[in-house]
Amino acid sequence: MTDEIFFATITDLNTRLKKREFTTVELVRAFAERLEKIGPRYNALALALTEVALRRAKEIDADFKRERFRGPLQGIPYGAKDLLSFAGHATTWGAKPYASQVFDETATVLQKLDKNGSVLIAKLAMVELAGGGDYRIAGASLFGPGLNPWDPSRWSGGSSSGSASAVAAGLVPFALGSETSGSILTPAAFCGVTGLRPTYGLVSRHGAMPLAWTLDKIGPICRSAEDCGLVLQVVAGGDSKDEGSAGKSFYYTPQFTRKMSDIKVGFAPADMEWADPALRPAFQTALRVVRDSGVQMVEVNLPDFPYGEMADVIIGAEGASVFERLIGSGKVDELADPSQAAGLKASLDIPARDYLRAMRIRSLVIQKFRDLFADIDVLVAPARYSVAPKADEPLDTPDTGPQPAALGMRRLIPAGNLAGLPALCVPCGFAGGLPVALQFAGPAFTENTLLALGREFQNRTDWHKRRPPLVS
Amino acid sequence: MKITRRQLALAVAGGTAAAAGTVGMIAAAPALAQNPPAATPDWDSVARAAHLQSAQALLKVDVPMDVEPAFQFRA
Repeated sequence: MTDEIFFATITDLNTRLKKREFTTVELVRAFAERLEKIGPRYNALALALTEVALRRAKEIDADFKRERFRGPLQGIPYGAKDLLSFAGHATTWGAKPYASQVFDETATVLQKLDKNGSVLIAKLAMVELAGGGDYRIAGASLFGPGLNPWDPSRWSGGSSSGSASAVAAGLVPFALGSETSGSILTPAAFCGVTGLRPTYGLVSRHGAMPLAWTLDKIGPICRSAEDCGLVLQVVAGGDSKDEGSAGKSFYYTPQFTRKMSDIKVGFAPADMEWADPALRPAFQTALRVVRDSGVQMVEVNLPDFPYGEMADVIIGAEGASVFERLIGSGKVDELADPSQAAGLKASLDIPARDYLRAMRIRSLVIQKFRDLFADIDVLVAPARYSVAPKADEPLDTPDTGPQPAALGMRRLIPAGNLAGLPALCVPCGFAGGLPVALQFAGPAFTENTLLALGREFQNRTDWHKRRPPLVS
Repeated sequence: MKITRRQLALAVAGGTAAAAGTVGMIAAAPALAQNPPAATPDWDSVARAAHLQSAQALLKVDVPMDVEPAFQFRA
């Protein structure tokens, strides 16, 4: 095996496994060794599961030998954010108070991947408690600050830090992350990989750490839109053990993609003003690529709501309830970021009226997005408006630039999360050597349309194929 | 509870935390630039002020009486 397998797509790896170019055991061992060697450079690794993985890989190889094919993920190693339980092994939620926590049940998504022949090789690092309580430093994690493979002095983004950095550095072919409000899209954007936030309720959260029941989603972080589609097909589906489950399945159907000329894509010119000047050329070029794919481009405005504040109240109230025992025990003070511990404590006192008000406004938001999507199919916007910040600087570094008058899509991440909408993050260039990314967001359960746009974009560009310099 | 200018600046930032796009990642606040930090803030006060700021922002939205909370949340 040569080093290029570490940056191969799922389809490529699966094809080569079927052709017996290498075995699952060899593939798993190669990735596991690389992850254990390089992962700590980026504080990406939470727990190596190499021995368990190699045992499972032998069984998968036996299936290949008997020509028992289980689908495109068979034999593919992967990593999972450390908020997903894996029976009998530590699941820390990235936080010191839970450092020795062990569950006796495996999360539904991990069971589904196992059934399809994927091999879990590691738990990946994350921001403590997925960021609940408000964190202001990259070091808000049991594993130290998530570092960016494109520049290890920069943050990987969070809270799915290790999931994104491990994919970017070629340490796993794909990973699972989670998003309550931005925790897949942000690290995917900062690390230059492709991330998919599914529609709320499409993927089971059973066995995942809850942070905010009405917002939490599990989704894939991969090398391409196509890989995201393949993983989503396996992990999606109804689950009676998840109260938020929509009871729907997902079938990745690129063969039935709508014609690009039939798709109306909404964009906001003000986004260019909101973006850091260094990123604007990449976004302008990327928008041209989207336009050249033949879609209809339409100017739109995001409905005007205090999305950030709504998310703040809802996540605060639900998160404080989830972690009430932690807060009451005083162990919350063991968190790495004192502002986060204080945030959780203060959230216990959010009045019911504030939570209810936020949830009532949320009903208005959902309706406004339904209205918006009556006229257009997809929104396109920068995934982040700046590149990854320095890992040793506070994340609240002031933005001193002039504020544009129009809102643009700047609040699309909290807005999309509040409305339960799916979004796909695709790399679209570089600024100062750091990745820049676009997001496509659409109505509920339109993942196939988003993936089609992402695939079209990635057929026309090669940003998703770039490798970080130190690990090429 | 007395809140310092620095704490209030941070609170404003905290109020837009989720707007920054990552749960809990405190967003940049212009006010902070004008009030550079002098000492370790009282995080409890900062967090409470942030929630207060968020709650005040929600009051600016006109919500008709018949609008129910999105409890039975289905996207």
